[in-house]
Amino acid sequence: MKNKKIDWGYFLSLFISVFAALLVGAIIMLITGHDPISAYGETIKGAFGSPRVIGNTLAKSVTLCMTGIATAIGAYAGIFNVGGEGQLYLGGMASAIIGYTCYGLSPVIAIPLAFIAAMAAGAFYAYIPAVLKVKFKVDEVIVTVMMNSIAIYLCSYLANGPLKTSEKGIASGTPAIDPNFRFPSIIPNSSLTTTIFIAAVITILVWYLMRKTSQGFEMKITGQNSRFAFFSGMKSDKSAIWAMIISGAMCGIVGLFEVYATQGRFKPDLSNEFYFDGMLVAMIMRYNPIGIVFMSLFFGAMKVGASAMELNSGVSSELILVIQSIIIFFMAAERGITSTIKSRIAVKKQRMQLNAKLKEEA
Amino acid sequence: MDNAESIVKFEHISVQFPSVLANDDVSLEIKKGEVFALVGENGAGKSTLMKVLYGMNEPVAGKVYIKGELITKYNPSEAIRLGVGMVHQHFMLVPSFTVAENIVMCKEPMKNGIFFDEKGACEIVENLVREYGLKVSPKDRIDRISVGLQQRVEILKTLYRGADILILDEPTAVLTPQETDELFDVIRRIVREKQMTVIIITHKLYEVMAISDRVGVMRRGKLVGVEQTKNVNERILASMMVGREVLLPKLERKKTSGEELINIKSLTVLDNRSLEAVKNLSLSVHAGEIVGIAGIEGNGQSELVEAITGLRQYKSGSITICGKDIKGMTPGKIRDIGVSHIPEDRMTTGVSLSASIEDNLISGKHKAEEFAVKGIHMKRKPIREYAKRLFEEFDIRSSSVEISAGSLSGGNMQKVVLAREISFENPVIIISQPTRGVDIGAMEFIHKLIIDERNKGCAILLVSADLDELFALSDRIVTIYEGRITGEFVNGEIDKSDIGYYMTNASKIDE
Repeated sequence: MKNKKIDWGYFLSLFISVFAALLVGAIIMLITGHDPISAYGETIKGAFGSPRVIGNTLAKSVTLCMTGIATAIGAYAGIFNVGGEGQLYLGGMASAIIGYTCYGLSPVIAIPLAFIAAMAAGAFYAYIPAVLKVKFKVDEVIVTVMMNSIAIYLCSYLANGPLKTSEKGIASGTPAIDPNFRFPSIIPNSSLTTTIFIAAVITILVWYLMRKTSQGFEMKITGQNSRFAFFSGMKSDKSAIWAMIISGAMCGIVGLFEVYATQGRFKPDLSNEFYFDGMLVAMIMRYNPIGIVFMSLFFGAMKVGASAMELNSGVSSELILVIQSIIIFFMAAERGITSTIKSRIAVKKQRMQLNAKLKEEA
Repeated sequence: MDNAESIVKFEHISVQFPSVLANDDVSLEIKKGEVFALVGENGAGKSTLMKVLYGMNEPVAGKVYIKGELITKYNPSEAIRLGVGMVHQHFMLVPSFTVAENIVMCKEPMKNGIFFDEKGACEIVENLVREYGLKVSPKDRIDRISVGLQQRVEILKTLYRGADILILDEPTAVLTPQETDELFDVIRRIVREKQMTVIIITHKLYEVMAISDRVGVMRRGKLVGVEQTKNVNERILASMMVGREVLLPKLERKKTSGEELINIKSLTVLDNRSLEAVKNLSLSVHAGEIVGIAGIEGNGQSELVEAITGLRQYKSGSITICGKDIKGMTPGKIRDIGVSHIPEDRMTTGVSLSASIEDNLISGKHKAEEFAVKGIHMKRKPIREYAKRLFEEFDIRSSSVEISAGSLSGGNMQKVVLAREISFENPVIIISQPTRGVDIGAMEFIHKLIIDERNKGCAILLVSADLDELFALSDRIVTIYEGRITGEFVNGEIDKSDIGYYMTNASKIDE
């Protein structure tokens, strides 16, 4: 089941887009009086220069990859899940509640429980827009965007109000989870933890589901043409809903990762639009799961490298955001640009042939 | 006619579309006051060439002269200025406007320079009607009049804008035989009395013979010949179109008779606007017979087929297939009890355009043990082998089974649908518009396939807008008008021109 949407031509345009974006970034640096070569050098060093930063890059990539795949599976079945951020918050909150209420319990019991809670919260929150879409044709983009705000502010209210910790010195947030539950770090001082293995397993499972199973096949056909899926006797509604449930559950797990690997408790600033970054990665790679894994690494490196660049060469890290946006811009325009170029070439060839023919006749 | 001055001249026209050369070095002269027919299979480049004339396509090479003037800017308003009018295959009318409003649109009469002058518009239309003899009533709303009348409105629209070169793109595709005759009368009249020049694009050869003075044949973007109509016949034209001798063979029919597999009793089905599209309809189809439904499009055929195949719920009545009442069943369930469906719109219902051909071929069978272990893990290899086998069996022409179905031509795409549906080996097959947009070569093949299934004992319900097709394939023909059955005939006992009366309300008037 090769994905026809990604081919060598696409990789070429992707490469050109990235290169062109970096070039634009370099020009901006030159205009503002910075040395682009040293700035990019610092970026690379900041992302890969030491085991610690490599760990940070990988940790960032894990988040991007999980959220990216979550977007992809929804889109695969024809539902565009923009609500991952809200699902992520609810998953984080649910797992945090388990984490501090089960304080002292064995991690063997508590951690699976936390996973179930996070997945259930995320999945439930994705289930609502999925059903609305499938049964009542309510636009899922609008619904999920709105539901994001509801979830984020609800969690913020809980963390500042009813569930606020009594510890001193913590402005807002739930009580801390049992330190025994936290994922151990793999590279000292870096934010890379054992979550990377869990993420890898989940990614492979979802990839398998999408690409190798008849259920994934039904999701794909539903996403491409739901009328045809229905015509072929598939349960297209069910496929779409399940895709959203999986997407939501994955976002819930990302929330859990933030709580159990990074923060140690739920804080209102749990995510800095992590889901939207992943969504962009998925869109650039046209929802191809393997592509998303690699693009996550690239974007992860850019994000982590950017802060090093700011620190060491004085170029603002916002520039990396500019570069990212330019890449996305180019990739969004890719289809139009390549088809224009292709037809231009075809026309030119045609003209040349005709002229040759006319000359021959003359 | 031979000495008439030329009014339109194409010189070495080539039109390039992204992946195909749609017109390849076409040179053609059209003479003032003639009816010129342009024929060719689908995708031969007829419409493309005419859209060059109408300014909608820009050629990459070559020149166009209209009335001696070289065209430099390709856009429709320039073409209209020079007197070119085009009636497209799909009408470009505003359904909620009146006839008069549609005709004067873009050049409306004004009251005090501000307000639309409705009375004036009606007068204009009445004058046009008198002048050209095309009867319409100016105050009727477009969505309330028949397709034949809508076409007249389109023609009047171009006349109002001063056209004296009229291009008609597949004008008879949506018309009954009677309406076609009327259209031809109109064409003859405007050519004779108003010295207009008419270019008619078609693929129906008997129409070429009936109406045109000269005929041009296109094949794969090239103009392969221009002839005086009186010097050719349908057979010559057909072989020019296809590039080889075409023998639409007499299809061999085995005598069969069998049990009733489809039984429809007083069926009523609602359309998307909740109006009754099928009204109290009863019909039965037996094993080993093809029942053809003849009717003008939009008379409930689509809704009937959708109801039988589970794509649409029906309001009342009953449908029994292979002895089972299908009320409330999904298309998947109905498929399981033995119904294959070749839908009228293959692009939206028959295939998934972005899925690969092999994925399209196994859709609906994708959980079979043959292709998926325990209905879960899909096995690529058997799927590929299966797809390749169907490729050969059904003569599907494509470079590989892995490319997307959307890249196939109409005929090959239809063969993919047929291959999938027939290989279910179901006893009942519902077929809608099997050869719409399909070239002659593929049409031969598809017709043979349908007859083969009949001879094997399938019960086949065939809906087609093409009367020739219905007469070629059906054992019985049922006419439908406004959702009701208006007549039922054994094929061979009625002629093509008589059946038109039953497809319109003419039969009701007779009663």
